[in-house]
Amino acid sequence: MNALFRLGFALLALTLVAVPLTAGNEYELRLFMLFLIYGIIAVGLNVLVGLTGLVSLGQAGLFALGAYTGGILATRFGFDILFASLGAAVVSGLFGVLLAYPTVRVRGVYLAVVTIAFGLIVENVAIEWQSLTGGTTGLSGIPGPNILGFPLTGYAFYGVLAVTLFAVTLLAHHLKWSAYGRAMLAVSQSETAARSLGVNVTAIRTLAFVVAAMTAGIAGSFYAFLNAYISPDIFTFSDSIRFLLMVILGGAASTFGPVIGAAVLTYLPELLQQFAEWQKFAYGALLLLVMFGLPRGILGTLSKLSGRLRPVARGIDPREGTPAAEFLRDGARGSAELVTDGLTVRFGGLTALSAASVRVGPGEIHALIGPNGAGKSTFVNTISGFYGPTEGSFSLDGIPLAGRKPHRIARLGLARTFQNTELFGEMSVLENVMVGVEQRRRYGLAGALLRTPGFRREEDACRRAAIGLLDLVGLAEYANEAARFLPFGHQRRLEIARALAARPRLLLLDEPAAGLTSGEIDDLELMIRKIAVLDVSILLIEHHVDLIMAVADTVTVLDYGQIIASASPSVVQADPRVIEAYFGSPLVQASVTEAA
Amino acid sequence: MTTALQYTLSGLAIGGIYALVALGFHIMWSAARAVNFAHGDTLMLGAVLAVLGVDAGLPLPLACLLAIAAGGVFGVVLERFAVRPFTGTNASIGWMLTTIAVGIMIEALATMQFGGFSRPLPSPGVAKPITIWGAGIYPQELLIPVVAVAAMIGFRLLQKRTLVGRAMQAVAHNRQAASLMGIDVNRIVMLSFGLAALFGAGAGVLVAPVIQVSATMGVLLGLKGFAVAIIGGITSAPGVVVAGLIFGVMEKFVEGYVSTAAREIVGFGSMIVVLLAFPQGLFGKREIFKV
Repeated sequence: MNALFRLGFALLALTLVAVPLTAGNEYELRLFMLFLIYGIIAVGLNVLVGLTGLVSLGQAGLFALGAYTGGILATRFGFDILFASLGAAVVSGLFGVLLAYPTVRVRGVYLAVVTIAFGLIVENVAIEWQSLTGGTTGLSGIPGPNILGFPLTGYAFYGVLAVTLFAVTLLAHHLKWSAYGRAMLAVSQSETAARSLGVNVTAIRTLAFVVAAMTAGIAGSFYAFLNAYISPDIFTFSDSIRFLLMVILGGAASTFGPVIGAAVLTYLPELLQQFAEWQKFAYGALLLLVMFGLPRGILGTLSKLSGRLRPVARGIDPREGTPAAEFLRDGARGSAELVTDGLTVRFGGLTALSAASVRVGPGEIHALIGPNGAGKSTFVNTISGFYGPTEGSFSLDGIPLAGRKPHRIARLGLARTFQNTELFGEMSVLENVMVGVEQRRRYGLAGALLRTPGFRREEDACRRAAIGLLDLVGLAEYANEAARFLPFGHQRRLEIARALAARPRLLLLDEPAAGLTSGEIDDLELMIRKIAVLDVSILLIEHHVDLIMAVADTVTVLDYGQIIASASPSVVQADPRVIEAYFGSPLVQASVTEAA
Repeated sequence: MTTALQYTLSGLAIGGIYALVALGFHIMWSAARAVNFAHGDTLMLGAVLAVLGVDAGLPLPLACLLAIAAGGVFGVVLERFAVRPFTGTNASIGWMLTTIAVGIMIEALATMQFGGFSRPLPSPGVAKPITIWGAGIYPQELLIPVVAVAAMIGFRLLQKRTLVGRAMQAVAHNRQAASLMGIDVNRIVMLSFGLAALFGAGAGVLVAPVIQVSATMGVLLGLKGFAVAIIGGITSAPGVVVAGLIFGVMEKFVEGYVSTAAREIVGFGSMIVVLLAFPQGLFGKREIFKV
C-alpha cells in the first residue's frame, strides 16, 4: 500500500475516533452514525458501479431487505445485532446473485431499469406482506442493539458502526488492488478482451453484485437498530438515486470517494434546509452540477490534478521483471496443436465458413489469408469461442473445444489479439498485461481481502512477469501510461504482450499488421519470430503478403468460406486457384482486354 | 362479467397513457440510443400547465395546446443540454443521471407553483359517464387508447411518407452512415426528442381529467412507460403500443382482485421476466453481437 493510502486510512481512523468525542449532542452523534451507515452502502456500491461499470438504481431495495431481515430477526426471534446483521447480509447477498443473473443478457440502461423495478417490487412487497412486515404502518419496537446478550450503549453501538465502515473500506481497497479488482475494471472496459484472457465475466459480475448487496444488507440491519422503526416509505427510488450519487460525487472506483460522497450527502440536506421549499430543487441542481463539473467526482478530480503536478515515472526498469522466456517456459508445457475438423458456421442463410479443416502443428507459424469476406474473422471468432460452430469440431492438443466459453478456451491455452484493438483503455499498460496473468492466480477471495503472504508473493510474481512481457514487446518504458494514450502501433504490441500473459500454447494474431508503418511491420516480424521460439504455436491472420511469406511455415487460403489451399508459402504463391481468388480468373481478364 | 368489462375498459384508458409514454421512449431510443429518464415529468408538465392555464382564465382547448407545446419545447431543450453532451460516451450513466436531475428540478418547481395537493383538470370528457353493458366509463377514458393508436399510426406514416421521417429511420439504423448521407443527425435527434415530448405532454393533458393532477404524478407513470417500452420491445412502435394497452388492462385486474401494491409487484415483476426471456422485448428486433 503506498504512502498516500496509508495516510488516507489514518485520517479516516482519526475522524472516526475524534467525532464522537467532539459531538455536542445526541442529535449530532446520531447524524454521524447515519453517515457511517450510508458510507457502508456507498463503499459496497462502488465495487459494482465504479469498478465493474454496472449501474444499480435499486440499492434502496437491497437496503430495505437488510433492514427488514435484521428487524424481523431481532423482534421475532430475538437475534442480537451480530446475527441479525449476518442474516441480513445473507438474504441481501442471495438477492444480489438473483440481480446479477440478468447481466448475462442485458446491461446498461436495461440493467438500470431491472434494478429500479427490483427496488419498487421490494417496496411494495413490504407494503403487501402485512403479517411479516407490518405493511404501511411499518415494523416498530425493534430492540436496542446488543451483542451476545451485552447491550450496546450509545458509544458502543457507534463503535460497531465505525469499525464496520473502516473494515469495509479497507477490504474494498484490498479487493480493488488484486486480480479480482483488475478483472472487474477489465470487464467494464472491454468485456470481449476480458473473456479472451480467461476472465469468467459472469462470475466477476456476480461477485460485484453480491458485494454491493451484502454491504447494503448489513447497512440496512444497522439502520433498523439505529432507528428502532422501519416502514416502506423509507426505502424509495429517490434513495437509490442518492446512493448512486454518493459514489459518483465522491469519485467512482476510488478508495475513499464513496465515504466522502456519503458524508457530503448526509450533511447536505441539513444545510439545504435553509432553502426551505427550494431544497429539492437545489438537490437536483447539485446532481446536474456534479455530472457537468465533476464527472470524475471529488477524488477523481483531485487525483487528476495531483497527477499533473507530480507525475509518476512513465516507465519501469525492465530489470525488475521476470524474463519473458522464463515466464512462458515455466513448468512442463509445450506449444500446442490446433486441429479443426469440418468447421461450418452459418448466419441465417449465409454460410460464412464451410467445412474448414485446418491443422496448426505444434511450434508452427501458420498463416491464414483470404480476400475480404472470405471467413477469416469468423474462423478466428469461432475457435476462440465467441461464435458457436453450426457443424464440425475443433480441438487443442486433442481436447475438444467446440461449445466451450471463450474464457474456458483461453484457460486451456489459446489466447488472441483483436483486429480492432480491444485494450482496457483507462488502465495502465502494466495493468493491462497483469489482467492477462490472472488465470494463473492460486489465491482465493479470502487471500486477496486479507492480503496473506501467499497473495503478496503471487502479486509480486504477476507484476514481474508483466514487466518481462512488456520488455519483450519493447513497452517497458510506457508501463505506467494509460493504455488509451499509446500510439496505435504500440497498442498493437500491448495486445500481443497481454495475450502472452495468459501463457498461451497457441497465440492467435488477428491482423496484427493492419494500420502499421513498414518499419513497425519489420519489428512485428522480429517479434513473431521471438515468440515462436518460446514454445508458442502461432496462427497469424493477415493481409500483408510480404510479412506472411517472410515468417510463415504454412499458409492456408480461405475463399468464400472454403479452404482452397494449404501448403508452404512458395507452393501457395504459385497455386492458380489462389491467384484467381485474389486477382480474378485469366479468362475474365482476357475478355476485358478484348472488349477494350 | 360487468366487472371484467369495467376493468378492461379502465385498463385500456390507463394503458393508452402507458402506450403514449412508451411511444416517446421508442422515438428517443431510436434516434439517440438514449432516453429522457424524466419523461414522466414531461407528462406531469403537460397536465400541470393545462390546469394552470385554465386557472389563468384561458379557454380549455387553448390551455391544453399551450401545455403540449411547452412540453415539446422542454423535450428539445433537455435533449440539447442534458442528453447530447453524454451520448458520445459508451456508458449510459451520464444521461441517465442528468435527465433524472432535471426531472427532480422540474418536479420541485412544479410543487412550488402548483402546491403540494392534487386536483383534476375540468373537461367535458368527464361530464357524464356512459354505460356499456353495465360498465360505467367516461368518454375521456375511451378517447385515450384511440389517441394512442392514432399517434402510433401517425408516427408510422410520418416515418414512411416524409423526408424527415425517413431520415429518422436512417439515423435509427446507423447514425454514422446517416450523417455521411448528408442528414443532420443532431437535428433529427432534437426533433425526435421534441416529438416524444409532445406525445408525453399530450398523454398528460389526456389523463389530467381522469386522475388527479399533482407535481409528483409523473415518476411512476414514467417508470411504467419505460417498463412497457422494454416489454414491447423498444425498437418497435406498434409493439410498445400493444404492450402498453395490455399492461394497463393487466394492472386493473390485479388491482381490482388483489391490491394496489400487488399491481406494482406484478407489473414490474412481469417486466423482469419478459426481459430475461426476450432481451429484445416481445416485438423488438434482436441486436446482433459482433466481436
